[in-house]
Amino acid sequence: MKKFRNILLSAVILFIYGCASTVSDKVSSFSYATAESDIYDSAEKIDINLANKIYFNFDKASLSNSSKELISKYVKFAKDAKAIRLEGHCDERGTREYNLALGEKRAIEVKNYLIIKGVSSSKIKVISYGEEKPIESGSNETSWEKNRRVEISLF
Amino acid sequence: MRLFLVIFIIFSLVSSAQLKIEISKGSESLPKIAIVPFKSSFASTTGDNLSSLVESNLILFGEFDKLSKSEMLSFPHSEENFYFRDWKVLEVDYAVIGNLLISDANDLVINYTVIDIALNKILLKGDISGKNSDLEQISKIISNRVYKSITGLKGVFNTKLAYILNPIKDSYMIYISDIDGSDEKLLFKSSSPLMSPSWSSDRKKLAYVSFEKGYPEIFIQNLTSGKRSYIETLGMSNSAPVWSPNSKYISFVMSMSGNPDIYLYNLRNKKISRLTTHYGIDTEPAWSPDSKKILFTSNRSGSPQIYELTISSGRIKRITLDGDYNARARYFPNGKDIVLVHGNNGIFHIATKNLKKRFINPISKTSLDESPTISPNGNIIIYATKKDNQGFLAGSTINGRSKFTLPVKEGSVREPAWSPLLN
Repeated sequence: MKKFRNILLSAVILFIYGCASTVSDKVSSFSYATAESDIYDSAEKIDINLANKIYFNFDKASLSNSSKELISKYVKFAKDAKAIRLEGHCDERGTREYNLALGEKRAIEVKNYLIIKGVSSSKIKVISYGEEKPIESGSNETSWEKNRRVEISLF
Repeated sequence: MRLFLVIFIIFSLVSSAQLKIEISKGSESLPKIAIVPFKSSFASTTGDNLSSLVESNLILFGEFDKLSKSEMLSFPHSEENFYFRDWKVLEVDYAVIGNLLISDANDLVINYTVIDIALNKILLKGDISGKNSDLEQISKIISNRVYKSITGLKGVFNTKLAYILNPIKDSYMIYISDIDGSDEKLLFKSSSPLMSPSWSSDRKKLAYVSFEKGYPEIFIQNLTSGKRSYIETLGMSNSAPVWSPNSKYISFVMSMSGNPDIYLYNLRNKKISRLTTHYGIDTEPAWSPDSKKILFTSNRSGSPQIYELTISSGRIKRITLDGDYNARARYFPNGKDIVLVHGNNGIFHIATKNLKKRFINPISKTSLDESPTISPNGNIIIYATKKDNQGFLAGSTINGRSKFTLPVKEGSVREPAWSPLLN
């Protein structure tokens, strides 16, 4: 009730000032602080002699037959590895947050295919960077098709 | 305190992100405004400096033409020596006059008057006090008052802009600057991507996404203390935070095992509730001004389109019907119109749309436009675009009469977020 009265009171004050066409102001100041980031370590990668990128069409997360063949070649290494990391990426077109979700859908497609082929799902870590980490910075189809990818790494 | 000072100085040497608004397309028929040099009651150039600041504020977004000092026929500072004919012959629409006094407490006291020349009428008489060192702040408040008295809209000259700067590969920064690009302050720096800055309605906190731990997570940073906290969830990724206008919630996107949906985070009891459950992508939430509805992007129809969710009933309504890509919408302050990214055949424009009408109005002409943010008075849009491998910010008034860019010296700038007004 008291709150309501305050609102009413300020509305009345506003109304009076509004009509009189005179205003009075005072300056107040505000300062900003910078925050520091912590540093996090990353694990050692296993090198294997296979292409590590799966490519996609614009705004699509489905796997082509050649992509499925490539992922199949990973299966025996993936079964031996401690962990598998799938990093989804998009080209710069469209919006950033939607692309973050789309990159995740792409990585999940690869994950599901590995699971079908017998890789344990608990070992697979999925992360999307959306359009934040392009390989090529150009704004043309040659660059875009290289950026629409899932990168596979084994640990 | 000293430590913070040192860090800040180092950062300001390393990067010079400063943005500056450059009008790229002005309209021929803008209202003409004359800011007469303010008179100081003491021997000083302060009055002149203050009126120059007010003038540069008012022409900042290309909404007015100015009458330069050299063209003025007289320099009145009070109503008694103000002659309408001096301004009518120069086709001036509005004039602002003012004078400065020094109070007993050694503060500046400024009296100013806004005059409508065509109507022979005083629109506003205002006064403001402050320290000499606050001259820029004073000029912004005066400019807001002048702008409101002329246009009927709230002035936005003392608002802020948050944005992400990517100066070189693997370096990401969040900056806050005044809306004209000046007085930039670094908030946070990381070697992993930063995304989606969103202001709290009291302007004291900023929520954003950081990949610093190796996955996307939502942080809330207190702007005065620099202290950070994060939203704790069970999801594998959290993104797209947006503060509700009533300050009670943050709406965000959480993905549990690869299904991004819209969630609500209650800031008071830290409870999380789910708002959408579709197996497709649901993302990019945006609050209605009354905090009762949420716009979001979903590809449930096969392509990204805009939907509106009424929180109390859970009812979801599709908003966009035309175009193969409609995403990242934001409400205008009137709650009736929205701005969005509208894509057709691989070309992405910023567009506006009335919620009740089908028609989509493109307002930008470049092809990789994204992340539109609306001024709190609903009259100006700033968005991110790209040219020659460099991301930069551009803007436009809603009526399209003025277009401008905010070029940056080095690196790419993106995801502008216009602050709310200070109450």
